[in-house]
Amino acid sequence: MIQFWRVLTAGLRNFMRNMWLSTAATAVMTVTLTLIMVSFISNMALTATIKGVTDKIDVSIFLKNNLTPDQINGFKKSLTDSGNVISLTYVSPQQAVLNYKEQNKNNPQLIAALDQAGDALPSSVQVKAKDPKHLDVIEAVVNQAANKPLLDPTAPPSYTGSRKATIDRIVRFAGFFKTAGLAASAMFLVISTLIIFNTIRMAIFTRRDEIEIMKLVGATKWFIRGPFIFEATLYGIIAAIIATILSCLLLFGGATKVASYIDFSTTVSFFQSYILLIIVAEFVLGVIIGAVSSLLAMSRYLKL
Amino acid sequence: MILFDRVTKVYPNQMVALSGLNLHIKPKEFVTIVGASGAGKSTLIKLLTREETHSSGKIIVGGLDYDTITSRDVPLVRRRIGVVFQDFKLLPGRRVGENVAFALEVSGARSREIKRAVPKMLKLVGLSTKENAYPHELSGGERQRVAIARALIRQPKILIADEPTGNLDPKNAWEIIELLLKINRFGTTVLLTTHNKEIVNALKRRVITINRGRIVKDEEQGRYTLEGGK
Repeated sequence: MIQFWRVLTAGLRNFMRNMWLSTAATAVMTVTLTLIMVSFISNMALTATIKGVTDKIDVSIFLKNNLTPDQINGFKKSLTDSGNVISLTYVSPQQAVLNYKEQNKNNPQLIAALDQAGDALPSSVQVKAKDPKHLDVIEAVVNQAANKPLLDPTAPPSYTGSRKATIDRIVRFAGFFKTAGLAASAMFLVISTLIIFNTIRMAIFTRRDEIEIMKLVGATKWFIRGPFIFEATLYGIIAAIIATILSCLLLFGGATKVASYIDFSTTVSFFQSYILLIIVAEFVLGVIIGAVSSLLAMSRYLKL
Repeated sequence: MILFDRVTKVYPNQMVALSGLNLHIKPKEFVTIVGASGAGKSTLIKLLTREETHSSGKIIVGGLDYDTITSRDVPLVRRRIGVVFQDFKLLPGRRVGENVAFALEVSGARSREIKRAVPKMLKLVGLSTKENAYPHELSGGERQRVAIARALIRQPKILIADEPTGNLDPKNAWEIIELLLKINRFGTTVLLTTHNKEIVNALKRRVITINRGRIVKDEEQGRYTLEGGK
């Protein structure tokens, strides 16, 4: 145990002695861990946003009001067979009127207009798609020649509207962001590993006399290596602390500014529930990067 | 105590540093090893401290057969042998007391034990007042005393002094030799290598002369000679 504390003390002393190199290594590690965390937060928020938007969207296919139940069931079956359907709901003309009145209960003028027009609303099938990126499958079913006579010619299906374009844009943006986040994280992971590798290499070089003396007086291999590993893991620990603070500031502070565009509520509640787990994950990641880099440097430059 | 039985050391570049060397040093002896540069003195010391491994033959030190030790055992071997060098090999950023304590720290000694042992050892080498000084504040002779204190703090049975007076003026050199003799009187086997003819001749102790990796002369009260013992 006493040996363990001596190794930690020596590692801390080395860290302080090389303050500039230590600061540089810690800074790069901080950028890496923050990037990984931001990438994780953004992915989570964007996924929640897409899910939220797509969950709200139904494809509405308007039908003529004089169809028989067999015709309606046949149409529903052909949609289900497309494979991209979670649920289907048939809305009768009467139900459509009730829904309309419920939605516009605070607007008596609209309700009065509907009453004057009689049962003017068409029946419809509300489709919830499994994959909103592939609404074309549903579109193909709707456009089949056999189904054309069933559709209300005055009200085209709603998937061709502006909402689909918006969803497509969000999906594309999220995909790009995910790839960019992963690429940047991977790049900084490599950079920080290389910088810590180089820092430890220089530390080994500047302390070669000390290492020789340690060998001379009978230090074990791990007593000599230990301080270098601890020094590198210290970069990771300090970087993890800063990165966690930065990420939380970004999430809890910055998120409110874009909250109307992106759904951060899931991510914020995830962070609140698992904050300890997240901190531990950051620490573990930082320690692993530091330890692996220093072990690599030692295997190459510290021959015992 | 130290036994070399037909020990040969061939380096990877095929240079033969020791060739069938036989040597027996008894406990509590004071032995001086002399020889020209490249004769094999340094290799002999490196084999004793296990910085190098022998190519053939047998080395037994303090009952430990070097053929049986693994790389894990090497630190333990080194803790049984104290070594001092011409260039002192002190840690410049640490005080005298910390330099001496360092040898105990690496072997896992308790802090209380270290605090007790260091002043005693500094008193033995005559540096009681310098415990808080840094190496650069000391004279060459004083630095070598610190190195000796560090080598002895674990009470090894063997002390190897590799050219300990090489960087010192005659007065300081003699003080170091007198310190080594004192340590030897306390029961430590001392192995000294030196090029200082006056010291070797004045010591009147066992002198082993090495030339081209072989012992060419081994006298109980020897004198400094080189090149085949002439």
